[in-house]
Formats: sequence, C-alpha cells, structure tokens
Amino acid sequence: MTRDEISQKVGNIVIKHFDIDSDKVTDQVRIKEDLDADSISVMEFVLELEDEFGTEISDEDAEKIETVGAAVDYIEKHQNN
Amino acid sequence: MRIAVDAMGGDHAPKAIIEGVMLAQEDFPELEFLLFGKETEIKKYLKNEKNIRIVHTDEKIESDDEPVKAIRRKKNASMVLAALAVKNGEADAVFSAGNTGALLAAGLFIIGRIKNIERPGLMTTMPTLKGAKSGFDFMDMGANADSKPEHLLQYGILGSFYAEKVRGIQEPRVALLNNGTEASKGSELTKKAYELLTVEPKIHFIGNIEARELLNGEADVVVTDGFTGNAVLKSIEGTALSLMGILKTSIMDAGIKGKIGALLLKDSLQGLKSQMDYSAHGGAVLFGIKAPVIKTHGSTGPEAVRYTIRQIHTMLESNIIEDLVTQFETESGTKNQ
Repeated sequence: MTRDEISQKVGNIVIKHFDIDSDKVTDQVRIKEDLDADSISVMEFVLELEDEFGTEISDEDAEKIETVGAAVDYIEKHQNN
Repeated sequence: MRIAVDAMGGDHAPKAIIEGVMLAQEDFPELEFLLFGKETEIKKYLKNEKNIRIVHTDEKIESDDEPVKAIRRKKNASMVLAALAVKNGEADAVFSAGNTGALLAAGLFIIGRIKNIERPGLMTTMPTLKGAKSGFDFMDMGANADSKPEHLLQYGILGSFYAEKVRGIQEPRVALLNNGTEASKGSELTKKAYELLTVEPKIHFIGNIEARELLNGEADVVVTDGFTGNAVLKSIEGTALSLMGILKTSIMDAGIKGKIGALLLKDSLQGLKSQMDYSAHGGAVLFGIKAPVIKTHGSTGPEAVRYTIRQIHTMLESNIIEDLVTQFETESGTKNQ
C-alpha cells in the first residue's frame, strides 16, 4: 500500500472516529490536543488502526503516535510485518 | 437470545458460573449459552447440554491482570473470546464474574460504545428500605474516576431508560448525588450537571439527593461521578457488614437471653437480609456499550448468577440497547462537544 493510500484510510478513520470535517485532517493534526482525545478515545483509535491494517501496535509504540502523520508513518513502516 | 458467558471469571469459577447457568436454564429454557473456558472443567458441572455450546480455551484473565494490557495480550482469554462473540454477532450479551477493569476494557474496546455516548458507566440497582422489590439505579459506580457534567447528564438518561424499560417504573425520578439538596450546593461538576439535568426533557429530574437519603427510596435513579459512586457504594457495603458484625457479636456476648431474643427475631432478620440483598436485582451493567455487558461479583454463587442471567434476559427482551442506539445516534442534543 502506498503512503497516499494509507493516508487516505487513516484520514477516513480520523474523520469517523473524531467526527471532524475532512478538510481539517492533515498530517500535522495532534491527536490529543487538536482532536480533544482522552486516553480511551486514543486507545479506540489505535485499535481501529489495528483492525483496518491488520497490524499490531504495541502500547509503547501507541504512546509515540502523537499526530495523524505519525500514525501514517507507523503503518507504512510496519505494513509488511 | 444467546448469552456469551466467561465461564472462567470469578473466585468460584467455573463451578458457580455453570451451576448458575443450569438454574437460569430452568427459568428460561429457550435461552442459548456460549460458554468460554476449559471444556473438561465446564463439563464437570453441566447437567445437560441443551442450548449450550462450549468454546474451549485454556487462557483466562486473572483478577490482578492490568485490564487493557490483558485484553490486548491474552487474545484467547475466555473473557476476550466472549466479548468477541458479541462483536461478531454470534451472541447478544456478555456475562462475567471476572476482572472488572478487564471487562470494562473488553466492553469498550472490543464491543464498543454506542455512538454519541461519551463514557459508558457502571450501573447497579441498589436496594432501598421501601420493600423487597424496591431499589434505585446507581451510576457511575467506578468505570470513570473523572467525569464531565455532560457524562452525568448521559448517566441520567441511561439510568432513566433502564428504570423504565427493565424495572418497569413509569416516569423514573432521577436525582443527582450531592452534598446538599439546594441547587447552589456542590462542586463545579455537580452545579453544572444540575443545570444540564434540569433542562433535559427526556428525564424527570427531581434535584439533588444527599448520601444519607439514598436507601430511603426517594429516587429511582441516582447519578454521580465514578470516583464518588465507588466510594459511596463501598461505604454502604462496609457499614452494612460492620453493623451485621456488631449485631452478631452483641448477640453472642449477651448470653442465653440474647440468644433466645435472636431466635425469636430470626425470621425478621432473614427478611431484612433478603430485602437488602442487592444480588437479587442482578449484576452491574456496563451501560452505554452496543450490547449488554454484565458483571457480577467475583465471589458470587449460583443464585446470583441466576439472577444476573434473568436481568440479561429482561434487558434483551426489552430491546433497551436498540432503543438507546436510536436515541443517541439519531439525536445530537445529548452529545458532548
């Protein structure tokens, strides 16, 4: 999957999960601060990423995913693992 | 109706769980059960296998496992598989007497929240002194230590739904737990919650209630944040246990006259005990999830399991979850922004 394809899918999850407009989704959007996500919401988001891409994200790695772009980078890097 | 049962959760599992399922089968022969756990252990207590399917697994979540890590790492644990069965549409509800935190996490992260419900809460029906069938629905008992005013408003709506649909109370009286009855009393959280509850048209809000009035049956639903709810629940349990302990010691120390007195009062004391036995109302509901997720006490016996399955049956029969989904997904008025 190309980065653009991953970015599109991650964007769709962000739009649906955090109920925001599509034009507000950029790589720079900070999940906790800009999307007002608390720990439960972040965990739900991480689990949705796992389901969508069939990859496992450890708790330690999940903590490092602070922006939408970081989520896309992570999936791109781990997609064949 | 099919219930996914975590057969390995609880201090006396699987014995108490399976014996309770057998009792519930007598009440509701049409109910189907998916039992998750060690097949050889489960079969020891099965009297028949009608409407029962065992899904074998050796893995289980321990009472001291860290909740979120446990459900993410023990993917074949009986509780996780039971929740997955509900997620995948193979069962309609999940029941466990195991690790409460893990069940909360399984409900939240495997089955998922009803859209627009910000924070599912734990709700239980507590007894009152107004008769054996009386009680009030108390929420949140500890799922979320920190709450926002909007969460308390949603608990009020959820509790009101439950009181009406499951307990058959018309126009349930909803109260907010506070440190005084006046609207101006309380913390920033309760003052703001009071304002929201007052203007909510879907519920019959009667104002603040003080903790000392809880058991007097003045409200059908009482809402509070999870930290306070848990502290109050344990205060009530602890006070009741201590009082029973003092009573017993006093009788035993009072010699022959005290023992004869106790014997004469035996029936009354038994009546009091059954009136205050909250297990008769079932277990605690993790309310706000897309299916009934019910927890009963870890030290529970077969009778409490039976009562809890009866409660699940009533919840499924009432279609309360479908109604909540309609209510919350189609209306944005209750949504927290």
